[in-house]
Amino acid sequence: MDLSNSTMTDALGGEEEAGGSYGRLGSRADFETYQRRAQDRWTELWEGEYAVVSVGLDSSSIAKGADRVLAACREALAGDRATVREVSGNGAMWMEPWVEVKRPGEPPVVFGNIEPDEVPALLRGELAERAVGVRAEHAFNGVPPLTDHPFFKHQLRIVLANVGLIEPDSIEDAVARGAYSAYLKVLFDMSAEEVVAELTAANVRGRGGAGFPAGIKWESGRKAKVTPKFVVCNSHEGEPNVYKDRRIHEGDPHRILEGILIACITVGAERGYNYIGGEYPLAIKRFRKAVADAERLGLIGRNVLGSGKDVYFRVRTGGGAYICGEGSALMYSIMGVRGQPRTKPPRSVEEGIWKRPTVANNTETLANVPDIVNKGGAWYAAIGTEKSKGTKLMTVQGPVKTMGLVEVPMGTTMRTLLEEMWGGMRDGSVLKGIQTGGVSAGQLAAEHLDLPVDFDSLTPVGGMLGSGGFAVFDQRVCAVDFARYLTAFNRYESCSKCVPCRLGNPALVEIIDRIRFGRASLDDLPLIQRTSKHIIELSLCGLGQVAPEPLLGMIKQFEDEFRTHIIDGVCPAGVCPIGAPGIASVAAD
Amino acid sequence: MVVQAHAAATDPAGIDLDVVREIVSHFKPQDHQEAQELILAALQEVNERFGYVSLEAAEIVAAHLGTTANRVYGLLTFYADFRTEPRGKHFMLVCHGMSCYALGSQALVQELKDRWGIADGGTTADGELTIQVVNGCLGVCDKAPIVELDHAFHGDLTVERLNDVIQRAIAARNASPVAILGSGSDHGSQQ
Ligand SMILES: Cc1cc2nc3c(=O)[nH]c(=O)nc-3n(C[C@H](O)[C@H](O)[C@H](O)COP(=O)(O)O)c2cc1C
Ligand code: SF4
Ligand code: FES
Repeated sequence: MDLSNSTMTDALGGEEEAGGSYGRLGSRADFETYQRRAQDRWTELWEGEYAVVSVGLDSSSIAKGADRVLAACREALAGDRATVREVSGNGAMWMEPWVEVKRPGEPPVVFGNIEPDEVPALLRGELAERAVGVRAEHAFNGVPPLTDHPFFKHQLRIVLANVGLIEPDSIEDAVARGAYSAYLKVLFDMSAEEVVAELTAANVRGRGGAGFPAGIKWESGRKAKVTPKFVVCNSHEGEPNVYKDRRIHEGDPHRILEGILIACITVGAERGYNYIGGEYPLAIKRFRKAVADAERLGLIGRNVLGSGKDVYFRVRTGGGAYICGEGSALMYSIMGVRGQPRTKPPRSVEEGIWKRPTVANNTETLANVPDIVNKGGAWYAAIGTEKSKGTKLMTVQGPVKTMGLVEVPMGTTMRTLLEEMWGGMRDGSVLKGIQTGGVSAGQLAAEHLDLPVDFDSLTPVGGMLGSGGFAVFDQRVCAVDFARYLTAFNRYESCSKCVPCRLGNPALVEIIDRIRFGRASLDDLPLIQRTSKHIIELSLCGLGQVAPEPLLGMIKQFEDEFRTHIIDGVCPAGVCPIGAPGIASVAAD
Repeated sequence: MVVQAHAAATDPAGIDLDVVREIVSHFKPQDHQEAQELILAALQEVNERFGYVSLEAAEIVAAHLGTTANRVYGLLTFYADFRTEPRGKHFMLVCHGMSCYALGSQALVQELKDRWGIADGGTTADGELTIQVVNGCLGVCDKAPIVELDHAFHGDLTVERLNDVIQRAIAARNASPVAILGSGSDHGSQQ
């Protein structure tokens, strides 16, 4: 059944198939041989004389039955010489589960929303009308290129280049598509100074929310005198508004691993860590597999590829506490205590894990590194806007038509994202606003859609790029109630270490509840401002320091709605316990 | 004191402590630092296997990794994914991320409270259903609001459909109360 594998077994002179037991590579030349074979095999797969059927499996598509679709493909093709592949999703949640069918001599065609029982018909070629696009430059049989679809048209995929294309469990697929070639350069050709210089020239800023330049952080790490040093990848992704980092893990774990290993070699770290949110079992599983395969090939361990350099690796997983995404809390969590932030300085690059210099970066930041090393900082800096370079992964939530994860150049406007890529609002939904920056910033309104989305452009209107998750909401959502949801999130997730955050956030929730239940007075609005100022100014860490921002943004953007609750005793959206217009307001609670 | 109170959890079957010993025996730290790094991982495996971590199990983890039950208990009560009491027969994650919120999860949470008498972490009086409200996002936002009940996702929910889904699960009795968050969990690596 698996033709390309069996062919390659011969070519390798009896070596095992992809992801199998290919032994430790002892030198650069060994790796390059392995790489050439992987590439040959990749070419063979796509240019061979047998069909290739790929099903996108990630945590989103599996929820919709993609695993059963894959099983149906395997069953239908048992005994056939076609290759059935388990790739990951490609971000386009709206067409899940999807199946890509490549017949010999034809380009791969992607079919959307396939049910398991439709698979036999699909494979017989009877579902032509369900083709979404061909994965090729030109149309085929009247089916346009996938990249013509509005969801894909504006994308520039660097981090996601292989996502949905390679089998995430196959290190050979990854290597065929260029994985570890940048690592090789860093091990053998480049000095640490040169790597940092490329990163600085790229001006890549942290994708975890704060936007701090990675080059500066790496330079501090490199210069730190204390040893051992560590690198940690922050893959916690505990925000309620974003689903990007898990998808990189699910789709191309080797890219992340390569980024972390490059960071280790550059700053002279003995060990890399990846701290993955415990809610993402598939991301954890595929990443662990990637680490195990890289260890087996000798890309991790003692004397990597004969370079004389050692680097080790550990995977750690979170336990559902949002605060553990904060850098110092994450490191405490790794050290096996409660994840509660500490005052800075010292910064983590001076005192991090086990009091050793630790460079911490977000998953997406690190996943950008291999291409920056390969293609150069100048190449990267040519993408994006003046102060925000490169691409950004963006996710959307709420009532939009074609939901999913996209990668676009920094500076793409919110209108392009929302109206074209994400298909606009669903029928019956009118855009009311977009919550930005997770639980840490304010909202955009309809009049802000033409703003470019980058690190700085949303800030003047109270929004924030943050990690790139945008929650779109419509007329059914009440501004007061949504403000309560966001504030209550911060209240719940406060680690309780410092008083302003621990007591201030419950106080805010209490005031909002007064408004929701129709017991507030106009004095409560200035009280919110005063309480917020305390929390913002006096809190110890980034959670408390921005916790009131969503509420303040709501009041700024939708002050009338707050006043209507307070003065008229009515919730215009009909959400709050105070009662909807036309209904006598109930003294709730 | 607190620890004692939780030790008395209603758990007639209890946790098979030999299995816990077997789980922790795979953790082989090379030094005390690594031992500390593995406490959470060991607890996660126990929690995943049994749906919660009892005091006795916590003590075994603590002893194996050279720490105290108090420290372990501090972790169990800090990290939301841990439970210190057994789950009901069925286990449901209720997504309360922003897509789910914007599309109506609040009403589901309210219904669980009003009709089933349970809030986050709670179990119905008959021991059938335990829920956990997820503050993050389950990543299936286009099907919001969504729950994951005994590994299966149910999306585009209304209050009526939620009730229906729960009733059918309880009627079917094919509970799988342990192991959280669907397919693909893997905590096998003890590096
Ligand atoms: C409450 C809180 C939660 C955070 N959660 C995350 C997270 O889940 N992932 C992440 O990469 N950064 C998170 N951050 C930001 C990190 O502290 C840190 O800035 C970031 O990981 C550094 O990497 P970067 O420079 O590559 O962005 C969080 C910060 C705070 C204050
Ligand atoms: S601001 Fe909040 S989360 Fe941060 S340390 Fe203080 S209590 Fe903990
Ligand atoms: S918010 Fe519920 S699945 Fe994303």
